[in-house]
Amino acid sequence: MLFSNTGVTAPIERTQLSGTLFAIHEVNAAGGINGRELVPVLYDPQSDAVQYASLAERLILNDDVNVIFGCYMSSTRKAVLPIVEKWNRLLFYPTIYEGFEFSNNVIYTGAAPNQNSVQLADFMTLNFGSRVYLVGSNYIYPFESNRIMTDLVEQRNGKTVGKRYLPLTAGYEEFTSVVSDIRKQQPDFIFSTVVGESTQHLYRAYAEAGLNPKEMPIASLTTCEAEIKAMGAEYAAGHYTAAPYFQSIDSDTNRRVLDLYKEFMGGEVVTNMCWEAAYFQVHMFANAMRQSGTDQVEALLPELLGAEFQAPQGRVRIDPATHHTCLYPRIGRANSKGQFTIVREAKRPVHPDPYLVTYSLGDWTTQIDTLDL
Amino acid sequence: MRRTGTRSTPELLKDLRSLRVAVFHPRDNDGEQLIRQLQRIGCQVQAFWPLPAELNEPFDVAFLAVNPETIVLDLPWIKSEDAPIRVAVVNYENPTIVDGMLRLGASAVIATPIRSFGVLSTLILARQLAGDLRQERKRVAKLESKLQSIRKITDAKSVLMNSRKISEEDAYAVIRDQAMVKRVTIEEIATAIVNANEILSMVGVNRS
Repeated sequence: MLFSNTGVTAPIERTQLSGTLFAIHEVNAAGGINGRELVPVLYDPQSDAVQYASLAERLILNDDVNVIFGCYMSSTRKAVLPIVEKWNRLLFYPTIYEGFEFSNNVIYTGAAPNQNSVQLADFMTLNFGSRVYLVGSNYIYPFESNRIMTDLVEQRNGKTVGKRYLPLTAGYEEFTSVVSDIRKQQPDFIFSTVVGESTQHLYRAYAEAGLNPKEMPIASLTTCEAEIKAMGAEYAAGHYTAAPYFQSIDSDTNRRVLDLYKEFMGGEVVTNMCWEAAYFQVHMFANAMRQSGTDQVEALLPELLGAEFQAPQGRVRIDPATHHTCLYPRIGRANSKGQFTIVREAKRPVHPDPYLVTYSLGDWTTQIDTLDL
Repeated sequence: MRRTGTRSTPELLKDLRSLRVAVFHPRDNDGEQLIRQLQRIGCQVQAFWPLPAELNEPFDVAFLAVNPETIVLDLPWIKSEDAPIRVAVVNYENPTIVDGMLRLGASAVIATPIRSFGVLSTLILARQLAGDLRQERKRVAKLESKLQSIRKITDAKSVLMNSRKISEEDAYAVIRDQAMVKRVTIEEIATAIVNANEILSMVGVNRS
């Protein structure tokens, strides 16, 4: 397991680790894999790509690990990728990312841009307008997400009225200057691809400046329940996020899993999309290994590709062609309880298309239903 | 067509040893692998990082890391006429990075993690393509100037034909003779005639 317990993206990666451990606990409680117990081996790569690479190699060479669960930022996945390819091991990656990748040694269980960006752009431009201000962390996921968002708002005759990138370690003061520029530019909405601990500074600076989410909300692909907990519900309330999973999903599976998770954690819990992907991918691995009887990549892949699982977000499936997952795009508006009120959701899973360059709004495959508010 | 085997070694392969290659890549495993492989091939390699604002010596080829940190390679020497042939070194394949690669004017690309295998072929292909392109550009420039000169001569001929009421052949003979007497090109005489005519018509002098 390679999830950071320290560093800039630790808060969200801790939830991925917790979801992974919870799923392993469930697998073991149900008799393990054909009677064998799953034993996690964990390291803390400290949100640092170099550490990810060396610890991945250590897992493989010293700990005899064949399957790795982990990685959040793209830079860390890119660091682990050559290692798992070199030793022919399998990486399960439970995070949204920018697409344009395939490796026979990776299973991607987070959303590709065609499973969240298009739906978010569609919703925001229809409800608020198409003048957008882009603010993001300074790395590849924000660059690529902003490219897609710019293309999409242009389809609605909109435009980008501002674009700012800040370091992952940016503090509150840096965001106050961004927010004062936002106030000056008066966009219809703000598209944030800020990740990690600095997320809270953006929302706080926005609230302190007295801006109103009803008129000029922040739309994000990465601000989930974990970030809201870190900043305080009052700062996030009224802003929007697109994700395949929200804790507030009203389904039997989600309620059942949440109850079990509360029991596992011994109290109230806060979950999010990355937690959910981390959770269901362990179960999909366990199911595959029950069939194959081994954790060798050649034996696991035939069982994993095309496999389905009743996840908290709905019934997901691993697409054999892309190794990405069919997921359920949803749009949520953060509420006063630190949770999301789901305002739109897909009734059927959206097929992953990681190499899609040109998106179009209103495409029937990306349509999601508006819920009664 | 000659059979393989009877063909002598191409120049592009022969001059690998004298090739001056610059590597602009972070000092990590990939950067080191790339430098070592280029040294094995026998190129004269120099490594730079971070990117220098200026290049103080000429290079034939430059390997440049196009990564999220250096997507916008706004360096004046990259766009200059005698800039080295560029090979992009990429670690992502999404449109943002591909766009960066295009803006760099790369002739070839290699992907990380760097493997020794493939560096040589990429290097050769980049030089062949860039060399061909340079030659084509030169040819186009030459043809364009030739075309312009023909147009100039045609204009000059019609000026003479109108003002002196002579045939096209005679007009050309006048231009050619003048060029021989003054020891300049036919095009220069034609230009002088056209320019003189323009000035005269501008000041309203009507010679006929």
